[in-house]
Amino acid sequence: MGGVFQVGTFIFSIISFLIVFFFIQRFAFRPLAKMLEQRRQHVESQITEAEKSREEAASLLAEQRRLLDEARKEAKNLLDAARVRADEQAREILLKAEEEASRILEENRQAIVRERDEALAAVTQRVAELSVELTAKLLHSHVSPELHREMVAEAEKRLGELVC
Amino acid sequence: MPVFPTLFAGTIWQTNVTVIATIILTGLIIFVVLRVGLARMDMRRPRGLQNLIEWAAEFATNMARETMPTEQSVNFILPLAFVMLLFLFVANWLGLIMSITVHFNPHISVWGLTPSDLAGSKGDIELFDSPTSNMSMALALAIMVWVISHARGLRHPKQWLRHFYSPSPLAVIEEITNPLTHGMRLYGNIFAGEALLGIMLRAPFALHWIPWQLPLIVLWLFYSGFVATIQAYVFSILMCLYVGNKSFEGHAHH
Repeated sequence: MGGVFQVGTFIFSIISFLIVFFFIQRFAFRPLAKMLEQRRQHVESQITEAEKSREEAASLLAEQRRLLDEARKEAKNLLDAARVRADEQAREILLKAEEEASRILEENRQAIVRERDEALAAVTQRVAELSVELTAKLLHSHVSPELHREMVAEAEKRLGELVC
Repeated sequence: MPVFPTLFAGTIWQTNVTVIATIILTGLIIFVVLRVGLARMDMRRPRGLQNLIEWAAEFATNMARETMPTEQSVNFILPLAFVMLLFLFVANWLGLIMSITVHFNPHISVWGLTPSDLAGSKGDIELFDSPTSNMSMALALAIMVWVISHARGLRHPKQWLRHFYSPSPLAVIEEITNPLTHGMRLYGNIFAGEALLGIMLRAPFALHWIPWQLPLIVLWLFYSGFVATIQAYVFSILMCLYVGNKSFEGHAHH
């Protein structure tokens, strides 16, 4: 009988298989498929997230590195600027000191020249007076005050020429 | 020749009750196993039976992916492929695990069987067997697959009409031979395994006490188990292949 084709068995086999299929599909396969899909999505999202966070970490690292470089550069710039300013200041101070020194030297020199001139003038005047007195005494004559003054001036002039 | 309890005996609607009952039983076994395995379903930490079920689902998915043209058709066939694989695996093994036979006085009429039917089987009535070792049932599954494949093909009527003659008109012959071989292959393999097993089990011991057939039975049992497993896979993959051949929406880029 197993080897003979039976229409009833044929039809009821299909019907009962479809019933079995329906129940298994509805109450066992669907939850399983849903769970597998859920897991697939979970894994996918985890991978995407991991990739994203890795990228973020890389960008953060680059940012940090950039900031560090910037800070280093800035520090270097500051140092350089300070050094330049210090150099400038030193040079300025030196220059000022040199100027001061030369000014003092000049002043002193002028003072010396003036004093010497003054001294020379005093000496010249004294010598002139002495020479006129000497001349007057030698001449034994009275010299009129006008002539006396004239002679002193003459002597001073000659002496000045002589001195200079 | 074994006989089975029969409904609508004598009419054209004659039905083998054992086959229907074992189909339901197979479904029940699968249903219970799946429900137990998935009762404490955990997406993060699969364990025990859940691993096995997931492996089966993955196996069915790979099988469908290899044979179907598009992901859309894979999603269509996947539930059927998964259920068919498990169903045939369990169904093919049922008859190997055990068979129940009751013995009746061959002169009475019982369960829709006439005395002449009982006389043909010496009064033995099979109550438990692989449903797939019945030709009607195996052909029923094959023709169901055939109908499904054509129903899917008819979603694109032009291509469906063209595929009958487009490579060659021999495709029409295939439409008849494919479901026939599909079903008969399953039936033949399972029936042959069980028939030989039954014959060896009923064979008398040598000298009434030497179980000479025992090693042969063990060997044949292993082989039949192998064949049962392989046939479940073959039937399922051919089902995917036939439905995939008639899924025309993806043929443009396949």
